[in-house]
Amino acid sequence: MATTVVSRKASRPHGIEARRRRVAYALLTPGGAWMFVFLVLPVAVMAYMSLKSGGVLSGGFRFTWAFENYVDALAGRQTFFLRSVIYAGSTTLGTVVLSYPAAYWIAFHGGRFKSALLFTILLPYFVSFVIRTVQWKFILADHGLVLGTLKDLGLLPEDFRVLSTWVAVVGGLIYNYLPFAALPLYVAIERIDRAVVECAYDLYATPVQAFTKVIFPLSMPGVFAATLLTFVPATGDYVEAEVLGGPTTRMIGNIIQTEYLRQARYPVAAALSMVLMFGMVVLTSLYAKLIGTEDETVAAAVGA
Amino acid sequence: MNAPIGGSGPGALPGLLRRRLTRRGFLRAAGRAAGIGAVGVSLPSLLASCQPEEGGGEVDVKELFSGPPEGHVEFANWPVYIDKKKDPETGERYVPSLRKFEEETGITVTYKEVIQDNASFFGKLQPQLQAGQPTGWDIIVITNGWEFQALVKNGWVYPLDTTKRPNFDAHATDWAKDPPFDPGAKHSMVWQSGLTGIAVNRDLVDAPITKLDDLADPNKLPPGSVGMIEEDMPDFVMWNLGIDPQTSTPEDWKVAAEWLLKQRETGLVRAYYAQGYVDDLTNGNLAVSMAWSGDILYYHTWGGYQNLEFVVPEGGCLIWTDNMMIPVGAEHPVSALTLMDFYYRPEIATMLQEWVLYMSPVKETQELIRKDAERAEERGWKGYARKLYETAESEYLFPTQELLARCRFGRTLRTDEEKEEWDRIFVPITEQA
Repeated sequence: MATTVVSRKASRPHGIEARRRRVAYALLTPGGAWMFVFLVLPVAVMAYMSLKSGGVLSGGFRFTWAFENYVDALAGRQTFFLRSVIYAGSTTLGTVVLSYPAAYWIAFHGGRFKSALLFTILLPYFVSFVIRTVQWKFILADHGLVLGTLKDLGLLPEDFRVLSTWVAVVGGLIYNYLPFAALPLYVAIERIDRAVVECAYDLYATPVQAFTKVIFPLSMPGVFAATLLTFVPATGDYVEAEVLGGPTTRMIGNIIQTEYLRQARYPVAAALSMVLMFGMVVLTSLYAKLIGTEDETVAAAVGA
Repeated sequence: MNAPIGGSGPGALPGLLRRRLTRRGFLRAAGRAAGIGAVGVSLPSLLASCQPEEGGGEVDVKELFSGPPEGHVEFANWPVYIDKKKDPETGERYVPSLRKFEEETGITVTYKEVIQDNASFFGKLQPQLQAGQPTGWDIIVITNGWEFQALVKNGWVYPLDTTKRPNFDAHATDWAKDPPFDPGAKHSMVWQSGLTGIAVNRDLVDAPITKLDDLADPNKLPPGSVGMIEEDMPDFVMWNLGIDPQTSTPEDWKVAAEWLLKQRETGLVRAYYAQGYVDDLTNGNLAVSMAWSGDILYYHTWGGYQNLEFVVPEGGCLIWTDNMMIPVGAEHPVSALTLMDFYYRPEIATMLQEWVLYMSPVKETQELIRKDAERAEERGWKGYARKLYETAESEYLFPTQELLARCRFGRTLRTDEEKEEWDRIFVPITEQA
């Protein structure tokens, strides 16, 4: 009898475990397939491309383990990487500072209009972002609607301009990435337990103290998500710099674009993209280590 | 008769309008190669050196073009580079010349304005071409730059059956029949051609702009008010410094690069444009800009921008051509060739030219445009007639020998080594930190 029990015990859990494992893998399949198709495969193709050599005038490119592409790609490009990080950093700061009050107000005082108010934040983004960006060229034209008027009134010097300067590029980036900060911030602030805020006031906290000691720390998951969602794409962005910028505002995205679409140096462009991607992974991991917690990373994912 | 489209744009939505406004703005003028050699001026001898090496697999041309038309053509072209008209009944915009082709031949055409610039369009096709897969297009329009060279050299376009284009034989200009970058027009047929010169916004500039150095003169122009066309500027600057780009050497390239760097240091350059310089000209951000003739003519004639003026600088212009080609793997080569030849019928070429305002590869268009003008006048369409007369007399559409003598084609980059050297010298100008 005992032997049968033992044998049963030994066999049954084994079968269940195997099945469990199979189920677990089966459940992983859709997500895994998604990751494979949309992440692993493209990156693999890009890595493969980055190691090709050849030229468009000699039949195209062949895979040759051409690691020198990376050397080629990085030579003299530090300025552009640095500039992109600075612009993206300013963008992140700008979007968070601008959208925090809005998100806060909607979450705490939006009442039954919350959804409608959120919708108004999103509304401009129903128009293609290229068109929106290009419209800024009209609005900010040197002798246009705004600057022209101010110049006519004598409030600005005649050769003042915004377009083709870093102000226009960072401004355009902030404008375009605003909802990516506003929405996760809103989600995080909305989730703050009002009772905790009440407690702070009950304990004689001033409004400023309540904000800095209670509300802001509790909204950190939102800030974290907002930062990632704006900083990462803004670093690789090139549209604002292309449309609103000038010769002195080119970002690394513009360099990659030029390499790929104008000079047809596809492997070098791929190598630059790889470097940019891994640079971002390292930067964001560091950031997550320093500021984020696991909780916040999850929240970031949820907020996204 | 195709109507002037000046006022009938795609509506008031500025975003859309701008798209249309950039028009041949998109049509960059590589002008890197070859060109209109045989127009009679001194060009042919200089251009003799820029013939591409033929390559690629052996295609039996006769066999390929022997069948009956397949009944359909997939045509890729640049934005706003064909005649258009609004159907008065349905309000739908259509292409009169293509409709005529469809009615006459029974061949249907899918016309798509998908080429924003040569290099990026080439970039999209390149992987398929290299892998020997069809691109889905039967006709593509490529400027005479390195992209053109690559397509021919790598055998990525079909050679054409030169015995099956009667209109081309009868009506093509000499330069279109034997372009130096494609001797005998064996791989391509010219769609349109144009000049790269200087556009001046007279509202913003009083000083006379007559030469290249004016584009780098802070005494004449305010900071950030000069537009440069990235792709054309090396050749344009070289030619204006007295160097013939066609025969130029890397040493000459460095001279041009030096000028461009000096210009950059003046702070006058607003941007190095791939396209879209016209937007900045029309909304007053640019006082002067390198420009393509058709763009400026079009705005001046049909767009109501009387303040824009096209100037041929003292040092001369760049010239370029856009060429129809049949990519390897095209499903409908016979129909494609039929369509290409159709555009060499004088009345069809006239429809096209009156609308796009670039140089036509067909001999008779000037005469036909004049006739259209007379007809318009008889019907009492005064403004329209005046504009057609202006078109027919435009020096930039029907250049004189004297003007052509002052125009050159850009450098033809024939090998990867040359292209690398070129990029090494000119890329740092736009990539200065």
